[in-house]
This record gives sequence, C-alpha cells and structure tokens, in this order.
Amino acid sequence: MGITPSQPVEDIASAPESSQPAVPSNPLLNELWRESGAALYGLEQQEFNRILESVGTTQNYGLEPGTAASRRQQAGFFRGLRLADLTLARACASGHEGAWEHFIAVYRQPLFRAAIAITGSETLGRELADQLYAELYGLSARDGVRRSPLDSYKGKGSLMGWLRTTLAQRHVDHHRRTRRELPLDNLAEGHEPPAADTKPGKLPAELLLLAKAVVETLEKIETVERFLLAAYYIDGRTLLEIAPVLHVHEATVSRKLHRLVDGIRKQIVKNLLGYGLNKRAVQEMLGADPRDLDLNLKKILQISLPDAFQEKAAL
Amino acid sequence: MNSNLQLDLHPDADSLSAFAEQALGVAEREQILAHMTRCSRCRQVIYLAQKAAQAEALEALSAMPSGRWYRSWRFAWVPAAALAAALALVFTFYPKHTAPAPEIAKAVPQSEQPALTPVPLEQASAGAALKPAPPVATNSAAAGAKFTALHQQPKELALETAPSTARPAAPGASVHPLEENNAARTHSTESVQGLAPQQATVQYKPEPSLTSVWQQQRMTGALSASAKTPQASQERMQATVDRAQAGRSVPAFAAVSHTAKQAAPAANFGIGAQEAKAGSVGSRGANPPKMPSGLAAISTATTQQRALAIDLAGALFLSEDAGQHWQPVARQWTGLAIKVRVQTGLSGAVFQLTNISGSTWVSADGKTWTVQ
Repeated sequence: MGITPSQPVEDIASAPESSQPAVPSNPLLNELWRESGAALYGLEQQEFNRILESVGTTQNYGLEPGTAASRRQQAGFFRGLRLADLTLARACASGHEGAWEHFIAVYRQPLFRAAIAITGSETLGRELADQLYAELYGLSARDGVRRSPLDSYKGKGSLMGWLRTTLAQRHVDHHRRTRRELPLDNLAEGHEPPAADTKPGKLPAELLLLAKAVVETLEKIETVERFLLAAYYIDGRTLLEIAPVLHVHEATVSRKLHRLVDGIRKQIVKNLLGYGLNKRAVQEMLGADPRDLDLNLKKILQISLPDAFQEKAAL
Repeated sequence: MNSNLQLDLHPDADSLSAFAEQALGVAEREQILAHMTRCSRCRQVIYLAQKAAQAEALEALSAMPSGRWYRSWRFAWVPAAALAAALALVFTFYPKHTAPAPEIAKAVPQSEQPALTPVPLEQASAGAALKPAPPVATNSAAAGAKFTALHQQPKELALETAPSTARPAAPGASVHPLEENNAARTHSTESVQGLAPQQATVQYKPEPSLTSVWQQQRMTGALSASAKTPQASQERMQATVDRAQAGRSVPAFAAVSHTAKQAAPAANFGIGAQEAKAGSVGSRGANPPKMPSGLAAISTATTQQRALAIDLAGALFLSEDAGQHWQPVARQWTGLAIKVRVQTGLSGAVFQLTNISGSTWVSADGKTWTVQ
C-alpha cells in the first residue's frame, strides 16, 4: 500500500506501523522544520509538512516506482534533502520578501557568474541570467496564476546547482532552437545539417559481417561504458571534462577507455570468428576503412531501454 | 517507445544537478546515466553546469580572505620550524661546551700558580696554561696565562704553539698531532674555546710575531724597522696587553654563559610572542557572531557603548551590552545593507551604514538613521 499525495503526513504518522506504510514521526518533522529555518520565512510547520509530503510522494522517496517506502527509508530520504534550500526556494516562490532579500544577497552574483561561464560571454550571460531571474520572480503566468520555476526545485541537489543546471538547460535549448533556424547560406558554407537517417547501400558480404559484429558488440556494453564512448568519441569531450561527471580521476577515465576499446576490438574479433571466418580474414577485415561500413554509431549507442523520465525539457 | 521521441523527455534540473553533485541513490544515478548515454542535450547541460561550478569555485577561492591568508602563510612554518630547531640546538648543546669553563678558571687562582719551569717542547701548549700570568694579567683568566706563556717562550716555540691554541680550527694549520692532543687536554684550551671568536683573535693573533720580535730585539739589541726604539716596542706591547685585559675584563665563560642565560628568556619571549600573534590571527579567522535571525554577521561595528551587526540577510542588529543581547533595528534605508562601520568626527563617533548600491546612512545611536 503506497502513500497517496492527498494523505497528510501527520495523519499517516500516527498510524500503527504494521497496518500502514511507515512514515516519519512528528518529532522528526518538527526537528526538520526547525533545522530548515523555515520559520525565518514565515513558513508554518503545516505548510512545511505539505511540501515534504509533496516532494516525497512525487519521487517515491527515492525508490523505484511501485515500491512502498518504510518509515526509515522516508526519514532517510527527508534527511538527505537540502531543506534550507528547499524552504528558501518555496518561500521565494510564494513571494516572501525576506526570502527574496536573502536569495538576492546570496545567489544573484553567483547566478550572473554562472551564466557568463556557461555562455562564454558577459553580454549573453547577463541576458540569460536576467531572463531566468525574471522567471524565478514569477513574472510568467499560467492559467492566470504567477508561477515560478523555483516551485519545481525539490531539494535533491543544492539550490545553486539547480540554478546552474537550469541556466545550462536554457542555454542549450536556445542554442539548439536557433541552430535549426540557420539560413540556407550558412548551411552551404559548411554548417552541419540536422542528422538524418541514411539508407544503407549495398555492402560487400564481409563488410556486412563486420558491421553486424560491431553492432552486436556495442549493444552489449554497459551504461557507463556507453556513456564513455558517447562523451569521448561523439561529443569530443576531454578526459578532464568527463572525469567529474563520473566522479573519478581523469587517469581512471583514460584507463577505462583503453580497456573498453581493447575489449570491443577483442569482442568484434570473437564475433567474426564465430561467423566462421578464419583469423587472417578477420585481420584483413579489421583493416577496412570505417567509412565503408555505413554504420551510425551515434544511433547504435542510443539504443537502450526506455527510461522513466516524465518531465519535458523546458520548465 | 520510439527512441527519437524518448529524447524529448529529460530528467529535471534538480535530478541533473543532484547527479552532478553525486547526491543521488545508485538506482537513480544509473537511470540518469543511462539517459545521458543517448541524450547529447543532457550531456551538454551537465558539462556546462560543471564548467560554471568550476568557475564559481575558482571565484570563491580567490575572493575568500581566509583562503588568501592561508595560502600566503601556509609555508611560514618552514622558516619558523628551522628557527625553532636552531634555537633548540643552541640551548641544548652550547651550555654543555661552556659549562666546564668556570671550574677551570676557579682552579687557577693567582696564589696557587706554579713557579716558572722549563717546558718540554711536546708539552708546550699544555704548559703554556700552567705558567704564571704576568703582573698586568693577574686574574685567573686563561687568556692571560696564555699570553704569559707566549711572552716567555722562545720564538720558535711561540710560533709553533700559537696556531694550535689560539686558532685551533684554522683550516690547513699544520699542528703536531701530539701538540694538538695536549692542547685539547689542557684547561687553557677549553677556556680559550669559551672565548668569543673576536676576543680570541684580538688576544692571540698579533702576539707571536710581536713577542718574538720583542724578545729577539731584547736579546740582540738590534732595532727593527717596525719598532724604532725599545720604548715604542714597549708601548705596543702595553697596548697589546691592554687589549688582552679588555678582552678578559669579563671572563669568557661568564660572558658566554651569561649571554646564554639572557638569550634564553629573550628567545622564549620571542616564541611566546609568535604564539600570541598566531593566537590573534586564529581569533581573527574565527566564526562571525550569530545574530538572533540565526544567520552569521557579515559586518560589525563597535563603540564603547554600542555594537551594530548586519547579518547575511541584510538585517541590522543593535547591542548595548557588548554583544550579549541583540535587538533588531527597524529598517530606515533602501536596498540591502551590507556594511556598517564607526566613523569618528568632530561631534564624536557615529555609525555609518552602506547598502549594496553604495549609498550611506548615518546614526549616532544606531537606532535612528538618516541618509548621508
């Protein structure tokens, strides 16, 4: 039995553990309310509890969908949230003046610096930051109600990290939109057109076997390895850029890449030998020009199980 | 589900930032990573967000005064440790070398000085210390005894023994091993070692040549070019003796031990002063006081009666009991207050408050503020 969003946390907390899914007790909520500093922004405890309930249920307390969270898991989930940032964001979204003053004092300048770092230009950065700032302040209205993107902040990461990621999302989306609107003259001058599926032409039998071996090999590699290949060979990112994403040292990324490429090569050879080719033919086949294979590696790497993200790109 | 359509669904900014900050659980992290594998848009977002985070970290590092202080002083312990080690070595070993000197000096009183006896060549340096001091150097200082010994020795002996006693550490000095051993065993040598280098040089360096020339002149009756008359030679000799006496006016060991005793507290004081300085620096880097709002103070100003502080949210607080109790001050300024300070003028000390745009307000009591 799961927790429904309409069910207040306080009511559930008083239920016995055996019959109800476990939820954090009121003392825990009181403690979290005090620790979060919500009172500074005039956020009453009932409102705070509702926010926690909403955050917990929408994310199923960090568990797989359909899994009922125990009391301990819920408490752990709540303790893992950035409660001070969450209350500040919600207080700002509700228009609390003191919260906005604090937000301006703490986040306005870092927001500008982040935008400048993301765009690489002070003018574009200030423009991007101002645009987001106006949205955060709730200047955009939907169904007659002013809405702030701060409402979507759930306290999983830091508020500053959320602001940076939001800025980056806006910048990337803007860049992608405007890239599609390039005039034809620019395309003729060498700008890459949007990727299109190309019909594979007729290939010699041995190249078809090689393509088959490559596809089968790449389909079997793990998620992290797939990410490494995409980041390094498709995006052209450096080891230094990839390392912090995986939270490892760049030397580790380098080692993993070497091992991965060696492993892929060995697996391709193994697959080809499995098709009945001899070693000499396999070696000759590996010396073929990759451009003759007519393989869309980007597309191959993108093949994976559908994920559970329900949210649209733009907020 | 169509994989192309799938690309239009992305994790929200909160999940992506939590992924970048490694704040997600294993399952959720794996889910995000799987999405990023096939979504170049989200990969780009993560790279850009990390780039901004790195730029922010660099900015914060350069703006932090404590960081600068730490970076500028982080290697200060190297010379401090070297100095402390040198002082420790000096205080540990130097008194051990000079300690026997007082006993030696006391062991050679004037009345018990042995009569002048011929000294074998191999015991020249040792015997030099046992010979009676001249009338001008009646004190028991070893330097005087050495002078006397040199004064009464034949020229060859004086020339041979002088380097081994007066300048034992002179590099390349050719000293007979036996003589050197003897000299090392004698008390006079130890007392000479107790002398400051400058004193030893003044006392012994000119002596061999001067005394030998004087003796030679006296024996032969001839005058050298440098000493025209016996009177002049006598005056120079007296000057040398005076210099020697001046050098002995404070016994060498006494001077050294006295200096060591005086240096110790001075050095201790120096170290204590350094510690005190470090303590004050440490207190400067301590946490700022907490305001009733629960936030840290970012700016404070204090007079004899009152203290004012601005917290992180820009609220101003007043204390009239040296920071024990704080009261909020009603806002009478525009913008976010960021700095408060005391300005001393003709009419006395007044508080000055600056907001984020640089405008200032003044107040005499910290409660009522007027724009400046």
